[in-house]
Amino acid sequence: MSGGRLSRWFDRKGWTALLIGAPYLWLVLFFLLPFLIVVAMSVATKTPTAPPFSFGGEHPVVNLDAYGRVLTDGLYLRAFLTSITNALVAMILCLLIGYPMALGLTRVSKGWRNILLMLVILPFWTSFLLRVYAWMGMMGRNSWFNGLLTDSWNFLVPLDWAVRSVPMMHTNFAVVLVMVYTYLPFMILPLYASLERLDPVLDEAAMDLGSRPWQVFRDVTLPQSIPGIVAGGMLVFIPAAGELVIPSLVGNASSPMIGRLISDEFSSARDWPMASAVAVVLLVLMVVPTMLYSHFQAKSEGSK
Amino acid sequence: MVSAEEPFLRIEGVSKSFGTFQAVKDVTLTVGKGEIFSLLGGSGCGKTTLLRMLAGFEEPTAGRIFLDGRDLAGVPPWDRPIHMMFQSYAIFPHMTVEANVAYGLKHEHGMDKAARAERVAAMLDLVQLTDFAKRKSHQISGGQRQRVALARALARQPKLLLLDEPLAALDKKLREHTQFELMSIQQRTGVTFIVVTHDQEEAMTLSDRIAVMDRGEVKQVGSPTDIYEYPVSRFVAGFIGSVNAFEATVLGHDGPHLRLEVPALGGAVLARDPLGVVVGQKVGLAVRPEKIRISKDRPEGVNVVAGQVKDLAYFGKDSLYRIAMPGGALVQAHAVNSSRGDEGVGVADWDDAVWLSFDPSAAIVLVD
Repeated sequence: MSGGRLSRWFDRKGWTALLIGAPYLWLVLFFLLPFLIVVAMSVATKTPTAPPFSFGGEHPVVNLDAYGRVLTDGLYLRAFLTSITNALVAMILCLLIGYPMALGLTRVSKGWRNILLMLVILPFWTSFLLRVYAWMGMMGRNSWFNGLLTDSWNFLVPLDWAVRSVPMMHTNFAVVLVMVYTYLPFMILPLYASLERLDPVLDEAAMDLGSRPWQVFRDVTLPQSIPGIVAGGMLVFIPAAGELVIPSLVGNASSPMIGRLISDEFSSARDWPMASAVAVVLLVLMVVPTMLYSHFQAKSEGSK
Repeated sequence: MVSAEEPFLRIEGVSKSFGTFQAVKDVTLTVGKGEIFSLLGGSGCGKTTLLRMLAGFEEPTAGRIFLDGRDLAGVPPWDRPIHMMFQSYAIFPHMTVEANVAYGLKHEHGMDKAARAERVAAMLDLVQLTDFAKRKSHQISGGQRQRVALARALARQPKLLLLDEPLAALDKKLREHTQFELMSIQQRTGVTFIVVTHDQEEAMTLSDRIAVMDRGEVKQVGSPTDIYEYPVSRFVAGFIGSVNAFEATVLGHDGPHLRLEVPALGGAVLARDPLGVVVGQKVGLAVRPEKIRISKDRPEGVNVVAGQVKDLAYFGKDSLYRIAMPGGALVQAHAVNSSRGDEGVGVADWDDAVWLSFDPSAAIVLVD
């Protein structure tokens, strides 16, 4: 086949360009273009037509009213604050729970490691919605889970503080609980990947130089796992901040998260420019820190 | 160098088992202060396990270890005045060279900041890495990494420095240079070194004394000359350098020497008397190739045998001959090519009939 027509046809530079270009094409078609549409919509004006917005006419071509409302209306600011707080708390809890689990995964025998990794991924085999509904059942006032918590609480506190059941449903606590449950694997897997690469001889070297096990962790293990912490943190924080389903099902309707707000503006209020403006602000809030981090990372890589 | 009263390091009947596998069997050793002591052996001989027990990463199954009079049983690695240079060097990749060297010093609570900085600078100077203080481990060469590991292990002024295959990761040229550097640093600091190595040449040039290990046991302890010239067992004789080994039977004493019947050499030879052998005992006889003389004419004296050159390898400054004995055995002999005769280089050529001879003092009787 060498030198044949077919191989010459395959060797053409066009293929290389296509291979490199395909992912970019994908990004342009399914990320950049929709994003530009959203940006365009966010500066349009709401109309009672279908689609429910227009540019120009009796309205200005670029209408920044929606952004003005995002930045001044307390409802939106509170929603952003609630989203970021909930996502931050969920991320920190995922880190606190996930780190020991990921570290444990690197310390067990190979056979156990595969089984335990399987268990981390196993929940994904069930429908996400089903798992949220299961939590709703567990958190409800008459569930065994709530009963267990109620009994423990009543046992531990003075009689005056006794409760008939623990109010969990429709609180931010419920939102954070379910988010931690849902996003935990996204924290464990990158952490495991970064911890698994570490050389155990480095731990021995630190111990040999006088460090106790907790000092070895602080000085050697933790600093080397920072890339894993950042990756896991972003994988949890970003989707959690924009989460729609969990707060809609178990959250507190009077202090909505931003995903809920976007959905409401879009469907029930039919204010597409407003929904788009909120989405753009959320995206900027998420993307800027990420870009700053990768810029900082690239810089420190460059100095190597 | 070992004092008569209390040796600096005393390893007393130490054994280590992993399940049913016995990695170290009843090892007893003493090491003097300021010595370079090598544990030499092939892979799986237990030398690394012994080193890890000294560092505190493994606890002995039986036996005790004393350092400077203190029993080390139950003392964790971080409390031992013993530091280790790991085979892979184990440089912390997220720290600079300087921070690596300074790492152990932060546990020296009596030391102020200035004293620490001074010590780090002195250590970097010792290993000639002052210009590389701010680099990270991936920005320096293998040889420099080795020196960082050495400086880091020496910074806290340990009583004992353990070196696990210190030169194995370096290329040949660098290895020779580093060997002398290690020796000079040891002399300047006066720290006792224990070196684990599988490389007999490295052990010979580096060490004051060597313990040869095999399958968890110490086979012989002695100076490099002792080990090379006076091996006590077939294993040690074969492990260090090359050797011609034959089966022999003790015939009797002959003045200061021992008379042996060696069938492979076709008769009786005289050998150095190791004392304690009896007539009729089966022993081994070892002769180093460079201790055997080759000549065309029959030389005067004892221990002369005839043979034929089967094989020869020319190395330039010397040649290695393989000579067939009448009994069929092959004897290796080294000869220095000191002259350039008209008949070509070397003392003999292929298929030449030659005479081999060796001094009785060069013939070693191996009881074990």
